[in-house]
Parts: sequence; structure tokens; C-alpha cells
Amino acid sequence: MRTRTIAEFVTQFGVKIVFNENAIVEREGRFFLLNNQVKPLIVKDDFFSAGLYLGKIRTGKFFPSFNLLSMITTQDANRIIIDKKAAWLFICGRDILRKGILKTYGKIQKNCHVLVLNEYNECLGFGKAMAGIEQQTDKNALAVTNVLDLGDFLRRERSV
Amino acid sequence: MEGFYFSFYLLSVMSGREFFVSRYEQLGWKYRPVNLRQAIRFNQLNSSSNSIGRQDLVLRLSSLGLNLETIDFLSSGFWVCNSKVSAGATAEYLLGLYSIQEAAAQIPVSLFSNLRGKRVLDASAAPGGKTVQLANAMDNTGSIVALDINKQRLAALTNHLERCHVTNTIVYQLDARNSPKLGLKFDCILVDAPCSGNFASDNNWFQNRTQTDIERNARLQREILMKTAECLTDNGEIIYSTCSLEPEENELNINWAIQKLNIQPVKITCPGTSGLTNVFGKQLDPSITHSRRFWPNTTQGFYICKLARCPHEN
Repeated sequence: MRTRTIAEFVTQFGVKIVFNENAIVEREGRFFLLNNQVKPLIVKDDFFSAGLYLGKIRTGKFFPSFNLLSMITTQDANRIIIDKKAAWLFICGRDILRKGILKTYGKIQKNCHVLVLNEYNECLGFGKAMAGIEQQTDKNALAVTNVLDLGDFLRRERSV
Repeated sequence: MEGFYFSFYLLSVMSGREFFVSRYEQLGWKYRPVNLRQAIRFNQLNSSSNSIGRQDLVLRLSSLGLNLETIDFLSSGFWVCNSKVSAGATAEYLLGLYSIQEAAAQIPVSLFSNLRGKRVLDASAAPGGKTVQLANAMDNTGSIVALDINKQRLAALTNHLERCHVTNTIVYQLDARNSPKLGLKFDCILVDAPCSGNFASDNNWFQNRTQTDIERNARLQREILMKTAECLTDNGEIIYSTCSLEPEENELNINWAIQKLNIQPVKITCPGTSGLTNVFGKQLDPSITHSRRFWPNTTQGFYICKLARCPHEN
């Protein structure tokens, strides 16, 4: 169940990651991947976080961590590389216009998830693709809608 | 009623700028306004496939108008100078390529002998700057148990761990005084104890602090030190640090630990002045000179002492 939820999310980027069910623990709907050094340290059930945080389920929906997105980035996933300006706007929560996209990789179809990378190949988050972004001729057309971006770290701090 | 007025009188006498400044003078430091500099620490646990180096980070931030200068006593620390942008609002920060961490606060973790593969306790971990630094020094090997009592601060800590790609840490909401309840032994223990702080990082410090606060904090620090020392392996190391200038929270606590906990200060090499061995006329254990005291200047006030178990006496 634990690995299925995560694996299903990952496949939306057109790749597969196989997780060892025994290496994943769940705590209050949050999933953590543990290595052999950290696992023996779970001496109390009420740990707050452990190992590599993979994401959480809220109201039946999976929200990935940036660690998980980085893991997907190393695979051959659907992804776009965007320019500096688009990268900054994306981190600020904005969607991506066609003119900000420098390169696309993978089979990007309408509504599929795409990783959003900057010019250094660093993952800034992910979004949902609009129809045929590679064929779009209007430079100002909306290409990818923002689902999750790194600015979330700042937003979380504010909400604490 | 008389007792109340007497306590009120004592409180007003044993607080305020004049009271503390005169204490610092008795300890050998003349008060002067300080010019704190913002510092950052390069985080090598970045997820980038390009494996960002320190120099790459300097260049990237410089192109944004955030200029850095190497801190000569730190291997991964930089002063921020002439910044046109906030150091906490760049993509590089959000990518976990660096942390904002005060320069003196970067020293304690750097004093552990060898952290790779070790089991480490971070006793008062939130908001996590030093936990991330520990994971960096360990290159995500071994394991860290990070404790803090405050749930909101734990949320900030776990955000910090995620942002900086830390994978070897388990976090518990637990009072450090209960650390023996975990039933674990640690090779390295960081006691960055909750403390009274200092005037350099808090403009209202002199107005808000009294001698009573300092004594209360010192008592809490002794309790934390005592309980965490129970979790230390025989060859283990403790780094004790505070950002307080008050000797009750520093040298006097270490003097107490030497007498009660079978641990002793170990020589360290870092900036700062030697720990005080005479505090307001009280002579302390001479080994306390091994600890280091930072009077505020470009860094905030700070105190660091490395401790190890006394050799067994047969």
C-alpha cells in the first residue's frame, strides 16, 4: 500500500521507481524512506520525522516531497528546462509560459506531470502540462501550470 | 508583602544594561556596540547532478548581487557583503545549496573529531542549522537523533532537513532531559543548550533579561548536560555551546560538570579567548581554559567547550 501510492505518483512522470516496502515507514500519513543506520533508531512510535521524507497523503491525495522529486529527476522523467526569469516566477508560484521553456524531455501529453528544472538541471518543482507544449507557437501561451514549487518552503515557514 | 518588595528591588538591581555591562567588565571585557555580520554556510549535500562546489555557489550568488567573502576560521562559511537580495529568498537557498547560519554558531559542529559513520545526538536541535551541518560533516552517513521539545520548532527543523537533503536523521519531540529514555548510546553529543542569548543578537536583551533568568537557564543546562552525558559512549565526545555571555551558563556549568559528571574539557583549536577560570572571585578548574569564549564583535557572543570522559581510574 505504502509503496503503491508513491509508485503510482512517480509513474505520472513516465518513469518507475521500485521501493522496498520494508524500508518505508508511515507516520500520520507521512512517508519516510529509511536506511539501515536510521531504522534501528525508531525506538519510539511517535517520531516526528525520519530518514528521507518522501511525501504525505492528505484527503486521499499524495503530495510529494522535494526529495522524491529529486529522485525522479535522476530518472528519464518527463521534464522541462526553463530560463532564469521563468524559474524565478515559478518559485514565486506562477505558471510557465511557452517562451520560458528552453527544452523539453520525455513524452509530454496533456495533463501529465512534468518536472520543472532550471538551467543547472536542478528540480524546482513540478506542474501539469497543457496540450502539446512542444507544438505551441504562441510564445505567451500557458504551457505548464504550477502544482508544487520550492517557494513552498517559505510558505510553510509563514504558516507555522 | 515585605518579601515581595525585596524581590522586586533585587530584580531591578540585578538586571538592566548597567548591571550586565559591569559584570562583563569584571570578567575582563569592555562593552562596545557590535557590528554583526550575516553569514552563510555552504551545504555540500545538494541534490544537483552537477555537484555544486563552493566556488560555483560564490559565482552563482554573485551573479544575483549577493557577494560573499570567505570566513577564515571556517571551512564552509562565508560572510555576506553588499547584498542586493535577501539571502533567505534566492532559488539557491531554497535548493538547499546553503544555509543562513551565524559564524560563531558554525564552530561547534566543526570541533567533533570525526563524524563519518558515527551515531550522533543533537540534544536541542531546532531550528536545525547545526543538525544540517552535522549531516553535512557526516556526508549523510551514520545517524543523527535530533530532539526538541517544541512541536512548532520541529516543523521548522524538518523543513530545514528536507530543503538541505538530509537523510540520516530521526527527529523526536522530546525534552533533552529525557534522552536516556531512548535507550541509545551516542559517539558524539551536541548540547547547543537553550540559553539566555546575548545583546548582540537581540536589541532588547538588556531590558528583557535578569539574573533570575540566567540562573534558571543555567539550572536547565546542567540538567540537560547531566542526562545527555548518561548517553555518551566511553570514547565519546560532547560539544557544549551556548550563545550566552553569562558565566553561570558557561564556565560555571562546565566547572560543575567536571566535578559531577566524570567528564573533562578537551583542548580545541578555534578563535575566541580562553574560557575564564576566575569568575567573580571564584577559582574554577584550570582545564576550563580549553574552552573558548567569543565576546561579540563581528560574531555574536558565544561559548564552546568540548568534553570527553575522564580516563578510567583503576
